[in-house]
Amino acid sequence: MEEWENVAGKLFSTWFTVVILVILLPSMLGVSLGITELYMKILVWILEWATLRMQRGAKEGKKVDCTASNGIIQRDESSSMVEEITELRKRDFELTDIFYFSKKGFEAIVEDEVTQRFTSEELVSWNLLTRTNNNFQYISLRLTILWGLGVFIRYCILLPLRITLAVIGISWLVIGTTLVGMMPNSRIKSWLSDLAHLMCYRICARALSATIYFHNKENRPKKGGICVANHTSPIDIVILAVDGCYAMVGQVHGGLMGVIQRAMVKACPHVWFERSEMKDRHLVTKRLRDHVADKTKLPILIFPEVWPGTCINNTSVMMFKKGSFEIGGTIYPVSLKYDPQFGDAFWNSSKYSMVNYLLRMMTSWAIVCSVWYLPPMTRKEGEDAVQFANRVKAAIARQGGLEDLSWDGGLKRAKVKETFREEQQRNYSRIIVGGDCK
Amino acid sequence: MGSLYSHFLPPDRIQHLAQKTGFTSEQIEHLHRRFMHISGDEETIRKEHFNNIPDLMLNPIRSKIIEAFFDKRNLGQDSTGCVNEINFEDFLIIMSYFKPLEENANPERVQCNRNEKLRFLFNMFDSDNDGKINLTEYKHVIEQMLSQNPHIGKELASSVADAAMLEAATICVGHMEPDQVYEGITFEDFLKIWTNSDIETKMNVRFLNMDSAIPLCR
Repeated sequence: MEEWENVAGKLFSTWFTVVILVILLPSMLGVSLGITELYMKILVWILEWATLRMQRGAKEGKKVDCTASNGIIQRDESSSMVEEITELRKRDFELTDIFYFSKKGFEAIVEDEVTQRFTSEELVSWNLLTRTNNNFQYISLRLTILWGLGVFIRYCILLPLRITLAVIGISWLVIGTTLVGMMPNSRIKSWLSDLAHLMCYRICARALSATIYFHNKENRPKKGGICVANHTSPIDIVILAVDGCYAMVGQVHGGLMGVIQRAMVKACPHVWFERSEMKDRHLVTKRLRDHVADKTKLPILIFPEVWPGTCINNTSVMMFKKGSFEIGGTIYPVSLKYDPQFGDAFWNSSKYSMVNYLLRMMTSWAIVCSVWYLPPMTRKEGEDAVQFANRVKAAIARQGGLEDLSWDGGLKRAKVKETFREEQQRNYSRIIVGGDCK
Repeated sequence: MGSLYSHFLPPDRIQHLAQKTGFTSEQIEHLHRRFMHISGDEETIRKEHFNNIPDLMLNPIRSKIIEAFFDKRNLGQDSTGCVNEINFEDFLIIMSYFKPLEENANPERVQCNRNEKLRFLFNMFDSDNDGKINLTEYKHVIEQMLSQNPHIGKELASSVADAAMLEAATICVGHMEPDQVYEGITFEDFLKIWTNSDIETKMNVRFLNMDSAIPLCR
């Protein structure tokens, strides 16, 4: 029995050291060992080989495709996840769906990169192996075994690792910021607080298995500005905060979130509102204006779609959408885009709880996303908040190749009511989307 | 059928196409490979060729999309009706409708681009090419879109179309007399529905710059 304990102890400590050396330290220092890229390449190679081998093995004399490609990761045009999200959101007018479908059809014609390599059966196998939340279909014994192996690796090896990282990350955030908060205000303090925040977010990003590609770093938001980004999933904050320090905006929570919030605010000023304060729009705008006016404070991070705050809180969404553009100051737009190749970052809040969502994130192979920093914009003379909002929105959408986002800057939508149920109306898109890669 | 693509696009042809459509030469080469793939190595594509694209078959308005490729109005020809087959240049012309606008375009260009894209979509609705989308044509498209859902019957699709048509009429014409008949959505009305929104950006397909397209043959 003792030997087992010894062995277990040794195993645990070696594993722990490996974790620290290989994952924690580099991510804390912001250095990339290139392991993630290697990991993804290997993953693609293995899964592709497995998929093709199994399906094509039986069929000889298959057509040999010469495809021009840099690997399956590179798509010729924007990937379809954001469209699927927009499709599932509330949309009222029938006519707009034509846009979505014509674009999708068009994309299918232009490039079917994945299906070019695979036939449709192979595509199903590929989806089965790479996506976490795909319903299981029995295709062949070998595929099932491989899928089982994948599940095992994801749940029993990757998941504990990531949970450990998440725990370390969050506790470090609380401890680190509290420690820094005890220092008197000085430049060193802000530098240390930046460091503490960055380290924590980097660890958390690793915990969520996020692989992030940043573009145009020279346009990174500066102090005293406002950073505006499109919101596609709850982990947007973590992803953006990996590369820069922002002042967060949000509601005061209780529990663990509250502890984190209080700790963070000790190290550097964030803007937390009480629930009652949030209803008063002028108060909100004023506080933010004061924050922005102080050039030593960090840029605030806003997602106009879920303004105010950074949480998906649908109570005050409608009220403040253009409010974020009325604060003034320089706006630094950031475009965020997820590649659904190995994991879907979309959160269907009606279907899954937050915990469930995080679990899915941590058990996926990887969440790949790209961040583009766009050049700063300011409100022009004679432009009102709505037009400014539209301008910024268009720039962000254009950069990411995304569908134009429905930030309601006074967009007039024709409502077709009473003649049909909205639910049924959405279903047709779900059927299409269900047959696709979700 | 092992296919080594025997295509070859001479550089001056690529240049000519690049100037005409705005794609880069790498993108044109890539699209040419795709064209060859769809056409099965033939010089032209016919409607049947599009049936081999599995993702397209899932799309409810696939027939409209396919027709759009063969529509003379979209190909920039003066006459109306459909052609039977298209060559690579026509293919690229249709592709360019979905290209996003270059940055820093002046407002005129933005307006022009917007009109082109919305015109493309208008043509998809207006199958008889009388310059108006009447109720029948509108219903047809909506029925197609809803056809994937077995729960929605024809009557429901009909009523959706009626309601949507009414809304369109309200936006375009405003208050109507009791005996006034709304003939159909003209292109100007169509534009009016979409004022104050950048709806044409929904049609944008971002074409990446292909840095080095290395053919991968198995």
